[in-house]
Amino acid sequence: MELGAFVVVPGGKDFTTIHEVQPHITAGFENPRQLVCSRMPIVGNDVLQSWMDRIRKLGVQSLWLTSGRGDGTVTRSELAGFARQGIERLLVIKLNSYAEMDLADLVRFHCESRNPVTEAHDAQGQMGISLLDHLALRASEEKNHLSAATPDSGQIPYQFSGYAKRILAARERQELVGDALTGACAMRPFGKQMGEQVWIGEGVKLDSSVRILGPTYIGARSRIRAGATLGPFASVERDCVVDCGTTVERSTVLPRTYLAPGLLIRDAVVDGGYLEHLVWGTVADLHPAGLGSRIPRRNSRRQSSCEVPTEGFPPADSVPAWGFASSSGASQPWLQVQL
Amino acid sequence: MIILPFPCVSNAAVRRALRKELLSALRGSGSPVIVDLSGCPPLNHEDIELLLECMAQVAGRDTQVLFVAGSRVNRVLLEVTRIPSLVPVFNSVQEALAYPKATVETDAKDQSASQAQRLWSA
Repeated sequence: MELGAFVVVPGGKDFTTIHEVQPHITAGFENPRQLVCSRMPIVGNDVLQSWMDRIRKLGVQSLWLTSGRGDGTVTRSELAGFARQGIERLLVIKLNSYAEMDLADLVRFHCESRNPVTEAHDAQGQMGISLLDHLALRASEEKNHLSAATPDSGQIPYQFSGYAKRILAARERQELVGDALTGACAMRPFGKQMGEQVWIGEGVKLDSSVRILGPTYIGARSRIRAGATLGPFASVERDCVVDCGTTVERSTVLPRTYLAPGLLIRDAVVDGGYLEHLVWGTVADLHPAGLGSRIPRRNSRRQSSCEVPTEGFPPADSVPAWGFASSSGASQPWLQVQL
Repeated sequence: MIILPFPCVSNAAVRRALRKELLSALRGSGSPVIVDLSGCPPLNHEDIELLLECMAQVAGRDTQVLFVAGSRVNRVLLEVTRIPSLVPVFNSVQEALAYPKATVETDAKDQSASQAQRLWSA
């Protein structure tokens, strides 16, 4: 039975080009929408790439990528179009979590339980991972949005008890960073281990006075200036500048972020000029206060923290190496990626 | 206890005048001063400079200054600048008034506080 794999990247929009992350905020507010997106690297790793590796292990040669609708949903009728192309079983993954899931076990469970639809659940509920048979798709065309729907009544969900974290919630994302830094999950920081729970990427420039307290990760080409302190539980992703005397603690600094001198970044995720406080859930715009900003690209190659990944947990700025093909006739753009 | 609203106006001339009054009030005060940012939009670099000036005005003197962030966004921005390590920062005026060092002198300074409130609300 031919298996097709589909990954929905909420907010991914166009996969042939690479997008700047644009937080939906103007200045700062008490109840923000999410600042982070699923394509932002986690200690140098790309979660989409980790799912692609798992899909490849199923023997699937290619997968389809889409951003879905505005809320990251895909309708069954859209998927049914693929079923008509000869794909008989569809694995659909909404990129909202990192999970160390054996997809072969999910497929086995689906076959044994004879469900037309199988949803993966963990202790927190739906994980956004589903297996659908083409007959179920045809029967339910024009029905509910797939990712918004609850499992069909009477169907047994696949209970996943392994490691999983939602990556669209800033606090859980930071927990994943901590787990990757301490070895509590299979994800490993992408860099060279330089000491006890300290990883450093290629081309990092560290002033000799910089203090690093593990566990900490510094991504490729980041520059940490005099008197700065990183850690514990700090992740400074690639191409960042942490200026003199600034402290980053229990926080993530996303790619191409500049942090001004003398700051205290604690319990936060910073992306360019925006900071989300992990305890209060508040998003603040650092730019008007001159405290932080996005570092412009140095060349014409377009890349960002939501860029397309490359093979096998590479540096997150490598040139995408996928073959793309656009779908035809779909209301949302679908792009085929050769694995 | 004196409560001074922070001059978070966009008009440059008005802002300059209010800044002058704020710094002058801080210089002349012998009692604790609460600088209240309630109602202010998110702080910009000029606001942060002025807060640092406020701190400089009372440095080395007995006058205590307290900041009321007024919003979580401004509280976050103040935390990021490390200002709370030098000056107590509160979420509301009520919290600031309950601050131990401040309350000791509150009763004695009621008159000057009401004077200042009139000045800044005008």
